[in-house]
Amino acid sequence: MTIALTLTGIRKSFDGFLALDDAAFSVGGGEVHALLGENGAGKSSLMNVAAGLYAPDSGEIAIDGRPVVLAGPADARRHGVGMVHQHFKLVKPFTVAENILLANPRPGYRRGMAATREAIARQAETLGFAIEPDRRVADLSIAEQQQVEIVKVLVGGVRILILDEPTAVLTDAEADRLLETVRRLAETGVAVVLVTHKLYEVKRHADAVTVMRGGRTVATADPRTASTAELTELTVGQTTPLPARASFDHGGTRLNVGALTCARADGQVTLADLSFFVRSGEIYGVAGVSGNGQAELAEALVGIRPPLAGEIWVEGAGDLAKAAPTARRDAAVAAIPADRFSHALAGSLSIAENFAVGEVHCGRYGGWPLIDRNAMRRATAAAVAAFDVQGVRSLRQKAALLSGGNAQKLVIAREFSREPAVVVAHSPSRGLDARACGAVHQRLLAARDAGAAVVVISEDLDEILTLSDRIAVMSRGRIVAEFDRPADRQAIGRAMVDHG
Amino acid sequence: MVAPPLKARRLGRLTLELRQNLPAWKQAAFLTICLVFGIAVSVAILAAAGIAPATLFDEMIVETLGNADSLRAVLVQATPLILVGLGAGLAFRVGFWNLGIEGQMIWGGIGATAVVIYGIGPESLRLVCMGIAAGLGGLTWVLLAAWLKLSFRVNEIIATLLLNYVAAYFLFHLLYGAWQDPTTAFPQSVQYRSFERLPEIGFGVSSGLAIALAAVAVAFWLVQLSRAGFYMRFVSANPGMARVVGVPVAAVSIGAIAASGALAGLAGFVNVASQEGRLTQSFFDGYVFAGVLVAFLSRNDPIIAAVVGFLLAVLFVTGQTLQVFYQIPFTMVQLIQAIIVIAVASSEFLIRHRMRWTR
Repeated sequence: MTIALTLTGIRKSFDGFLALDDAAFSVGGGEVHALLGENGAGKSSLMNVAAGLYAPDSGEIAIDGRPVVLAGPADARRHGVGMVHQHFKLVKPFTVAENILLANPRPGYRRGMAATREAIARQAETLGFAIEPDRRVADLSIAEQQQVEIVKVLVGGVRILILDEPTAVLTDAEADRLLETVRRLAETGVAVVLVTHKLYEVKRHADAVTVMRGGRTVATADPRTASTAELTELTVGQTTPLPARASFDHGGTRLNVGALTCARADGQVTLADLSFFVRSGEIYGVAGVSGNGQAELAEALVGIRPPLAGEIWVEGAGDLAKAAPTARRDAAVAAIPADRFSHALAGSLSIAENFAVGEVHCGRYGGWPLIDRNAMRRATAAAVAAFDVQGVRSLRQKAALLSGGNAQKLVIAREFSREPAVVVAHSPSRGLDARACGAVHQRLLAARDAGAAVVVISEDLDEILTLSDRIAVMSRGRIVAEFDRPADRQAIGRAMVDHG
Repeated sequence: MVAPPLKARRLGRLTLELRQNLPAWKQAAFLTICLVFGIAVSVAILAAAGIAPATLFDEMIVETLGNADSLRAVLVQATPLILVGLGAGLAFRVGFWNLGIEGQMIWGGIGATAVVIYGIGPESLRLVCMGIAAGLGGLTWVLLAAWLKLSFRVNEIIATLLLNYVAAYFLFHLLYGAWQDPTTAFPQSVQYRSFERLPEIGFGVSSGLAIALAAVAVAFWLVQLSRAGFYMRFVSANPGMARVVGVPVAAVSIGAIAASGALAGLAGFVNVASQEGRLTQSFFDGYVFAGVLVAFLSRNDPIIAAVVGFLLAVLFVTGQTLQVFYQIPFTMVQLIQAIIVIAVASSEFLIRHRMRWTR
């Protein structure tokens, strides 16, 4: 097996923060090589160096044994290195073919389009994708957009394909299909780098694994012989046990959602007559294939999107379906949205401001004429310590500088600063590493034990199974099945697909 | 696969990277370097036009700031600049691009003059009534654009800008019609009486300046100390998130927009009631650009807006002197303004990005 890509002694710092420290990595043609590590371990940074996006401070990149200097992503593409990023780089209003032509320019729009169409058809057939070149990217599902990204890179003649957390946005079934495709690609001689923090993907689908921790590559192993415990030890440094469960002891109904109906601006119904209840001291998990109304349900519960009809009744506060978000906060409804930096934090503002904003309106930090910034800082410092938010150099630091896990901890610190009566959490651990995920889950369980009614909406079935006392399956805007704990994973999976 | 040409490899390349964070003193240093560069370019251009740097220094510092008459002229010019700069900054803080400052000034002037013409309120409180009417005039005019935005999603840049013309033609309609001065038959209103004109507060400085400084203090309190100011940060940083965490986004936005219009209306009032003493056809000219300029250079900060307004007035007055005594066209002053703005804007770029030469 020839070595396709070799990185040695890569060092890269951002404003004094050393993101990569003497990192080394190599992948050969025909190989699926996993790059495993926690969030912030430097996986994406290292691969951005390989894809020509970052210029390393020092270190060497060699392709097919020859040292190269990459002058940018386009140059890397010329050398046969292509990357599919976690956040897709597609022009949404453009069609599939236009996007691919844009990334792989050809002379003459008409001729270029024809050639591109042909290339797409060829690639799609090899990979087993059903891609329609004339559909607008904005109309595609996440999985389809990912396929477009992969085809876009391959049409450019790439032989070293880097996939950054490709399964993070996919459902179980979609992820399995993708990983099968990846295997087929490798069989044609392409070198595939699979950046991930999911151990079972590594065990099941990779030929080799390189583990990163704290900006260093700590080991390369064969996933077929290395044990799960060994690999976990290598990624995390130390393992945190799953939280033990208190016995199931719930109270009366705390949240009742009745006949909730939502529709998009174009009239398409997203939530159809949806009803459920959650009792005090209970975690209600909502599972389902992505795009079946989960996002709309979360938005309606949190108050981003007012429903057309139906009620959201909270004990002690009454029907909040049409109430302003302030009314929900007064009723102690805690909101943990899926997209942290668009719905939970203002990245350009300080950590202290982001923490304090939740309780400003009730006067905790001074009245309307004068806000008390000292009180804000004191409260934030206490909460940052209590909720173990790390990477806080100063409370004036911008929230955007926090890593995903710590940003989520900050959101939870704010939302739980007053004891919540109802918690609405949408994909609370999306994009978090094992340790941060464990911490988030522990907080949700603690809230439940303190008597809150907790709704967890997640496309990650493992998360639903770990947390929930009762599990609902959503499909086409309705709840199609409910299961009590302990639930059968197979039965839930069937319910998700049968109605979908 | 084709290897890149060898030449490109030897030369290396300039890479741009986003900066995560930069200490305040470094930001200040970048700003200073860029400003010095901008001033140097301006001085060089003026030198090419025949004004030696020494003369320039003399005109700008000694003659403009050291001479009581010129200093008075500077303060008169600075007053409306500070008011419109504050107004623009407040609207920008909630993401509302108020380019209708001139229209709002016009309605401020019309409001004040209506109080004069219809003799509203006792003579001792006439000025207060005029000020309130002016503020309400500007406020109403900007809220029209805000309403169009909220109800029909009309882009406020277009709405505010075009409403300037509507306001201006309505003003002309009044000045060539019902409100035309009957004694001179010029297209302007009657002369205000003495109790309808802003009095001086010593050194020949109009009380308009006191109004502007009071507005600076109120805006500082509003933006930096009050709860509304705290909310405004979230409205501009992330309105979607702000709504979820209980920030009254609509109320805060409308409040800030209304205050913006009221300040522009007050600027109109100060101009008609202190300089001309009557409603004219041109008391509002050029203040949209000036307001945006002051707000941009001050980063929407009220205190800095006051300083920038003052410096801009110094530049204007010096420009007028140069125009009269050195036959320099006034466009030269605008050119210098533009150079300074570009200098400040590029410092912003350097603060956000890191440039490196890599090989």
